Amino acid sequence: MESVIFYIFAAILLFAATMVITVRNPVRAALFLVLAFFTSAGIWLMLEAEFLAISLVLVYVGAVLVLFLFVVMMLDIDLAPLKEGFTRYLPLGIIVAALIVVEMIAVLNAPQFDISAAQATDGSNTKMLGRLLYTVYVYPFEIASVILTVAIVAAITLTLREHHRKLQDPAKQVMVKSADRLRMVDLRSKKQDGEGSES
Amino acid sequence: MLENYLPILLFIIIGIGFGVLPLLAGFVLGPRHPDSEKRSAYECGFEPFEDAHMKFDVRYYLVAILFIIFDLEIAFLFPWAIVLDEIGVFGLLAMFLFLGILVVGFIYEWKKGALEWE
Repeated sequence: MESVIFYIFAAILLFAATMVITVRNPVRAALFLVLAFFTSAGIWLMLEAEFLAISLVLVYVGAVLVLFLFVVMMLDIDLAPLKEGFTRYLPLGIIVAALIVVEMIAVLNAPQFDISAAQATDGSNTKMLGRLLYTVYVYPFEIASVILTVAIVAAITLTLREHHRKLQDPAKQVMVKSADRLRMVDLRSKKQDGEGSES
Repeated sequence: MLENYLPILLFIIIGIGFGVLPLLAGFVLGPRHPDSEKRSAYECGFEPFEDAHMKFDVRYYLVAILFIIFDLEIAFLFPWAIVLDEIGVFGLLAMFLFLGILVVGFIYEWKKGALEWE
């Protein structure tokens, strides 16, 4: 039963990942990426990596993909010039893909990724993560919050524009007095003083 | 262990069924006689003169990136909440410092007006 569910999830994941790179419309590709993330979260859940699964859904599907969609829509992509250099970039693309395959094989064969060692630990690995992260690795954990704060400042500095903000303050509108709008000038008294040359 | 997730799996399957089955029923049962006029985009009676793809304001991007940052902050809270009784006061203070630094960033973005949408 478990392996049947795994194969269903794996089939959906492979289908979605293939669609991400073959579909022409970038918005559809981003939506297929959502499907791929969901199904890989399901597979991670079956591997008892609950925290990774929930953070994949929460962070990637919830936030990063929204950002992807905004970027795709913001770039205003014209599809015709994108298809032109396909044969020109093909050798470079094949080299990069081959390098990634070699790296993946090297990493997955490493003894640190032995799955039997991970399953031998009893209890949830979210608990083990928490036990280490907030005690032994508390210093990198605080650094992470500093990095996030820097990211807030950087995002605001890069994108916030104040010059085209037209705001009405209702309190100021209500509290205005006639003296703020109108200035009474007595012209005749000036003439009597002999300074009436300015007509 | 994995049996606990069976209700969630059933929930997902039934949810997908609820979404897909009415669409399929409409697709199969409904009459369809498409022609070129029916399939073309309708724009107030005259010829469509613009592509539907248009540029978004960069401020949407700002809201999205601020959302990601606080989303990541929430992701740190989950394992903390599970082991809080084991790591004690030290863990509590560590999380308070973490949240305190992020509150500084939050105050900055509030005062800067990044959360205002005219």
